[in-house]
Amino acid sequence: MGMRVTLEQSDSAAKSCVAVLNERFSGSGINSTVEHHSNAFKMPFVRIHVTPQHWLAVAKFMKYDISVNYCSMVTGTHFPDGPAERGWEVAYHMMRMPVSNVKPNTNTKHVAEKLSGNDIPLEFEVLIALEQGDTPTVPSIQSIWVGADWNEKETWDLVGINFEGHENMHRVLNPHDSPEQFHPLQKQHKLRYHGHNEMYDDPQGFGRKPADEGRNK
Amino acid sequence: MAQMWITMGPQHPMTHGLWTLRVKVDGETIVDTDAELGYIHRGVEKICEDRDFTQITPYCDRLCYVSAMTWANSYIYAAEDLLEAEVPERAEFIRLISAELQRLASHLMWLGAFGPDIGSLTLMTWCMRDREMFLDLLQELGGSRMHYNYPRIGGVKRDIPVGFATRMIAKIKLFEKRIEEYEMLLDESTIWLVRLQGVGYTKAEDMVEAGVSGPNVRAAGVNYDVRWAHPYSVYDQVDWEPAVEKPTSVKGADCYDRYRVRMEEMRQSSKMILDAIEKIPGGKNTNYSAGDEMIMTKAPTRAPEGATGFSNYECTRGASQFYIKGGGEGRGKNPYRLSIRSPMFITIPYVAKTMIGYKIADIPAIMGSFDPCIGETDR
Repeated sequence: MGMRVTLEQSDSAAKSCVAVLNERFSGSGINSTVEHHSNAFKMPFVRIHVTPQHWLAVAKFMKYDISVNYCSMVTGTHFPDGPAERGWEVAYHMMRMPVSNVKPNTNTKHVAEKLSGNDIPLEFEVLIALEQGDTPTVPSIQSIWVGADWNEKETWDLVGINFEGHENMHRVLNPHDSPEQFHPLQKQHKLRYHGHNEMYDDPQGFGRKPADEGRNK
Repeated sequence: MAQMWITMGPQHPMTHGLWTLRVKVDGETIVDTDAELGYIHRGVEKICEDRDFTQITPYCDRLCYVSAMTWANSYIYAAEDLLEAEVPERAEFIRLISAELQRLASHLMWLGAFGPDIGSLTLMTWCMRDREMFLDLLQELGGSRMHYNYPRIGGVKRDIPVGFATRMIAKIKLFEKRIEEYEMLLDESTIWLVRLQGVGYTKAEDMVEAGVSGPNVRAAGVNYDVRWAHPYSVYDQVDWEPAVEKPTSVKGADCYDRYRVRMEEMRQSSKMILDAIEKIPGGKNTNYSAGDEMIMTKAPTRAPEGATGFSNYECTRGASQFYIKGGGEGRGKNPYRLSIRSPMFITIPYVAKTMIGYKIADIPAIMGSFDPCIGETDR
């Protein structure tokens, strides 16, 4: 039969992680909570709000003390209409996986229900809010998780978040000769202008009005 | 000897898509590599900001041209997390079956493309022949051979057709024998073994550290699988166990292990499908009309400001993840930001670095064994 990590296991793992995080980083503006997904299994995850100046310390603690070994995803979001202290947000999704090297000709067959302690797979969401401005900057965690390297490249390329200390930063999805400061997922680049539905109504652009229409020449 | 850079791709058979691998060679030996991606970047994440939640599904189908169903499902679970939709159990079983059928088709496409890389052109024709069976089954569900647009937020588009179960069981039973044929063809072929064994070693911990997941990590001897570790759907109710290999060296899994783990995974998927179709609530030969409460629950269409949805899904190449922020323009009808995590985007640069030290002739074997797909990589 198929197996799965139970809700009690995950809940206890998430609670103990939140307890150590809150104890270690109490009073420094870092706030971690246990949240639950809303779909069928209501699985818990740990949500951590961090400030950019504390991020490296928290990341090291996560990696070496609660064995979060997998940096799976970095998402930047632009909030041009947001409050002054939250113009940008960087969300990191990390996983804890019970994976270790095996001896030759052997393998590890985990039984989900019997996992305990730091072996229980768990999901972490780290949120960093950045102030409004043209140069959102967070420290790079490339040196802590190798997997963060290309995720950070992508986030800089598409959203324009600067990762301080990242080595070998370059365009990955946009052309290498894209103009500087061009990051297409920033909100000033719009998909529709003047309410004109270009993609559906007028793919060739024949219906577009010339820029000087109505002007006396 | 002088060192020089060689550019392989974007039009090289090794790439399985469009990307460039630049290799620095010293004689025959690779001393440095560099991956260049982005040739088919379509800006899906930006397009999705202007579409409502149902309209996004076909875009997610088109993320990967060999496993559309798993990517659409992956998005749907994130959207359901965001919109707090409930899914009837029958729909979950149908989704499981459709995703596993897609996994079979995708692994066959991989094997079919990997064979010619290694020098076995016969394999391509065999795999395409068998893949056709599963494409026909998926066509019965979604109406199309490639992009199905099948799952919906809160259920599935329509129920399994009458007679689908019988046809599927017959095809899976046939396919289980065909897997043995493949193994007879490949495991007894000296060329296959010489090209794959002892080539492209990767250790489990290194891969996890670098962000590689899925069958590539299971090949290195750990049965970590998103389907049990971050459970979704009804995988705990059907009979299966994660495919896992026993690598023969301290250096980790080689290309041969990665081939073996995918063969085993095809067996497990077949087993899972046969079990799921018997256990499906409402019976395997009933056909509920589209929108019936057995297969579809009405879900909200607007997401409140500040709500987020996340899904972690075992795609055919590793963990695919979606992260959606609600409350965009159109008062929550569209996502404010939709972010896609593609397993291959992280894997390809990692694999490029593991090639250092091997010979040029090993590149197709190493790269092909990781199953690259550029549609999802470039998004």
